[in-house]
Amino acid sequence: MFRIKHFIEQSWLLVVSAFVFGLLIAVTNAALSGRITANDEDKLYNLMRGLIVDAKDFETVIKEAQIPGGKGKVNQTDIYRAIGSGERNAGFAFAAVGAGFADKIKLVIAVDGECEKFFGFKVLSSNETPGFGSRIKEDEFGGQFRGVPTGALEVIKTGDAEKIDSQIVAISGATVSSEAVVKIFNTYIGEIKRQLQEKGLIGNGK
Amino acid sequence: MANETSNSSVIGQTFIAGLWRENPVFRLLLGMCPTLAVTAAVKPALTMGLCVIFVLFCSNIVVSLMRNLLKPHLRILMFTLTISTFVTIADLFLKAFQPRMSETLGPYVPLIIVNCIIICRAEACASKNGLFISIVDAIGMGIGFTATLCVLAGIRELLSTGAIFEIQILPLGETGGWFVPWAAMSMPVGAFITLGLLLGLVNIISRRKT
Repeated sequence: MFRIKHFIEQSWLLVVSAFVFGLLIAVTNAALSGRITANDEDKLYNLMRGLIVDAKDFETVIKEAQIPGGKGKVNQTDIYRAIGSGERNAGFAFAAVGAGFADKIKLVIAVDGECEKFFGFKVLSSNETPGFGSRIKEDEFGGQFRGVPTGALEVIKTGDAEKIDSQIVAISGATVSSEAVVKIFNTYIGEIKRQLQEKGLIGNGK
Repeated sequence: MANETSNSSVIGQTFIAGLWRENPVFRLLLGMCPTLAVTAAVKPALTMGLCVIFVLFCSNIVVSLMRNLLKPHLRILMFTLTISTFVTIADLFLKAFQPRMSETLGPYVPLIIVNCIIICRAEACASKNGLFISIVDAIGMGIGFTATLCVLAGIRELLSTGAIFEIQILPLGETGGWFVPWAAMSMPVGAFITLGLLLGLVNIISRRKT
């Protein structure tokens, strides 16, 4: 009995505070979560619109597609279909994630309506080194992916960055970040293509 | 009358302490993580400063109100619980109303939880003083921290981009001007150099004053 009394005397403030503070956070979260989700969606849709210029709207064609990420890890992503003028299929887009130099890099990747060529990518979030790895956001690097056939890509340290092929010239001083972006492409594209084919959205089944 | 004068003098001194004599960055060398990490430009530095003011203000109020109920061995736990609550709220507000800034600041807003300034003020001031002094201390320390961050960020942004608050001040070489951006100032090395020089300057000024 004495022990219980002692425990209550010592910890009542902590227990009450934890409850009150928890409630405060829950209320704030409930009030703001809708807005936060809308902000995230807005950003994703704006980036997808920037990549697929013909897109009038987007629809989710595969929800929570499972993408094996190596070492038994599985990533989940939604695959969106871009609807162009006259309900035409203007392309597909999806969010992709992978390890960068400093932190995870999240990209939005877009491909054409047959999933044969990349439209390119935009960076959803990254914390790469300013002035070096952060240059993955620049068009000088990102432009190399535009129009490239959707196969395996490789990183080279020197070469012609304007040539449209599967060889991506790394950013000088940011080889790790450049390789990380290419690795994200290689991890996702094969599986995305397979799942789109399986659903009959591209290829013969369309 | 004498009592009133001494009270207002204590309040004034508490407020000014955070601005100069006990400035968290220049004199106490606290909160170095955000000081170095978010001062590449003035906007994120100001946002970080405002977040710290909010958290410091709220946590000092709560700690001051519960100071007589605190058990000595549980006080750090209580401070951390209080601070983390207000940091989480500040982070949610930033994500909802300033999503771009929230992204720019990245993990440094949640890291306010372990910012020594806040726990230091809870321990040194709010847990020992009444509500009013704790509020004045929070505002003084918060403004002192924010001002320091903005000065540091202003110098770095100006030298790395020729702009302050994203307003171009120095004419860039690529547009026919004379200024060549100093990219190193936007990187961690720029933060260390600027902070070191400012600390030296503050020490020289303080020595001359004494």
